[in-house]
Amino acid sequence: MVRFQDVSLRYGAGPEILDRVSLDLAPGSFHFVIGASGAGKSSLLKMMYLANRPTSGRISLFGRDVSSLSRHDAALLRRRIGVVFQDFRLLDHLSTLDNVALPLKVSGQRSDEIRKDVVELLTWVGLADHLDAKPATLSGGQQQRVAIARAVVSRPSLLLADEPTGNVDNRIAERLLYLFEELNKRGTTIVVATHNEALISRFNYPVIRLVRGEVRLEHAETLIRTSDMPARAPVDHGTRDTSLPVEGNPESAG
Amino acid sequence: MLLRKSVVPLNSDATGRFLPWLVAVMVYLAALALVSAMAMSKIVTRWDHGLSGQITVQLPVSESDLTEAEITNRREEVLTLLQQSPGVLSANHIGREETAALLEPWLGQTSGLSELPLPDLIAVEIDQLDPPSTASLTARLIEIVPGATIDDHQRWLGNLLNLARSIEIVAALVVLLVGLSAVIMVVFVTRMGLAVHYQIVELLHLIGAQDGYIAREFQTHSLKLGFFGGLVGVALAALTIFGITRLLGQADTALLPALSLRPLEWVILGALPFASALVAMVTARLTVLRTLSRIP
Ligand SMILES: Nc1ncnc2c1ncn2[C@@H]1O[C@H](COP(=O)(O)OP(=O)(O)OP(=O)(O)O)[C@@H](O)[C@H]1O
Ligand SMILES: [Mg+2]
Repeated sequence: MVRFQDVSLRYGAGPEILDRVSLDLAPGSFHFVIGASGAGKSSLLKMMYLANRPTSGRISLFGRDVSSLSRHDAALLRRRIGVVFQDFRLLDHLSTLDNVALPLKVSGQRSDEIRKDVVELLTWVGLADHLDAKPATLSGGQQQRVAIARAVVSRPSLLLADEPTGNVDNRIAERLLYLFEELNKRGTTIVVATHNEALISRFNYPVIRLVRGEVRLEHAETLIRTSDMPARAPVDHGTRDTSLPVEGNPESAG
Repeated sequence: MLLRKSVVPLNSDATGRFLPWLVAVMVYLAALALVSAMAMSKIVTRWDHGLSGQITVQLPVSESDLTEAEITNRREEVLTLLQQSPGVLSANHIGREETAALLEPWLGQTSGLSELPLPDLIAVEIDQLDPPSTASLTARLIEIVPGATIDDHQRWLGNLLNLARSIEIVAALVVLLVGLSAVIMVVFVTRMGLAVHYQIVELLHLIGAQDGYIAREFQTHSLKLGFFGGLVGVALAALTIFGITRLLGQADTALLPALSLRPLEWVILGALPFASALVAMVTARLTVLRTLSRIP
């Protein structure tokens, strides 16, 4: 699914941010990327979503060498990757509905076909009452859910989340990861970059640790669930195969 | 409501707001340049038609001490020669009074006119399809009347044609320069829009928008601005021409028919807003595609 071979990255004439990194993330896998601030987590993800080209080395996604992709094919490939950006990157002048619908519109789907899906998805993430709200009028946690909804609306095969728990407290962060877990169970390959090691320790997923430009693959400690965080059974929504678990509004639920 | 509006909010920022007005000024200039060129070419055609079917034969009278009878004799001989020459349709003497009348606008109704040594003039109508050679005709005339000359108006017409051609070249140059400035302006405005909305452009790119999709946002906006500016410019130009026509109409001059536009010319003027819209659209598209090609 994601394959790095001796990938190095430096910005301009700066230092080597990543130094001959090799990775092979299997389809359907779930990985955390951790490392200190400035370790290169975002940089690694940017190469995965084709925003940056490596200085040297080979990257292949979905079995295709990305350096040989045409611009057209690269765009098609990006549509199979959902990204939750560290800073959300919602469009200020668009409503929640329009923000989430954007990936579908960009891939050429008709507005009337989009609407039903988007409303459904926004209901699942607890934003049914905020369909027409502009991002500026939403709380940080709500904006984050909009960003996540936009990342998953086109049912990507690969979901990359850069510090998706940065703006919220641990409780909500944990809920968010359950949500990703749910998507992962339905076949989505997931990579979550974070520096919240305490959070990671609650999940039993492999960890890619970035230290001085090199990667170490580790396994997280055995999953520990606290009593106030019961595991919820996924609810079937019938129409969607990559649906998010219904849990109402994560903020109000806690 | 869902996503009907454009993703890049170009309408709500100030980057393109002045563009239609600049386009209007440019289209206005282009339209006036075109109309001048078209009017000039019509004037030339008209004079060309009016004059090239005619030549004028001049028989000098001043340096000779001929009697009235001798002059008449000589003239009759020339008239006969002319009428028998192939390619000549008719040859008529222009009387003294007529000649004086021709000069009147320049010299005024002076009493001294009759004392001027006016040349004997013969108006000759020639077959435009098979015109006689001016040189050989002159040679034969000189045998009868030394000093006889033929004015075929070619020098006058040639000057006029040169003037018309110069005006056409200047008009073409104006249109070219105006078009070039418009292109530069649209490039500038589009780059500004790209810079202002870079976040949005980058996001669209990252969620899988093709370059053409992003370009369309900008080119549609640019097309509207270019078309609106073009409409205003042509409307102003039409008003100007109308105004000039009215002014000239009161003065009753020969320029008037040249300024009343033929259908084809109206079509050319009417096409200007479409041309400016097209230029604006294509320029914006190429500018965006070029900028995007630098994003990996
Ligand atoms: N566009 C850029 N140009 C130059 N240097 C950059 C650029 N982006 C990142 N860097 C540098 O690369 C290094 C890694 O940055 P990166 O954003 O990948 O770190 P990170 O692990 O995501 O940090 P954080 O946890 O704070 O988000 C940093 O030293 C940063 O200064
Ligand atoms: Mg980062």
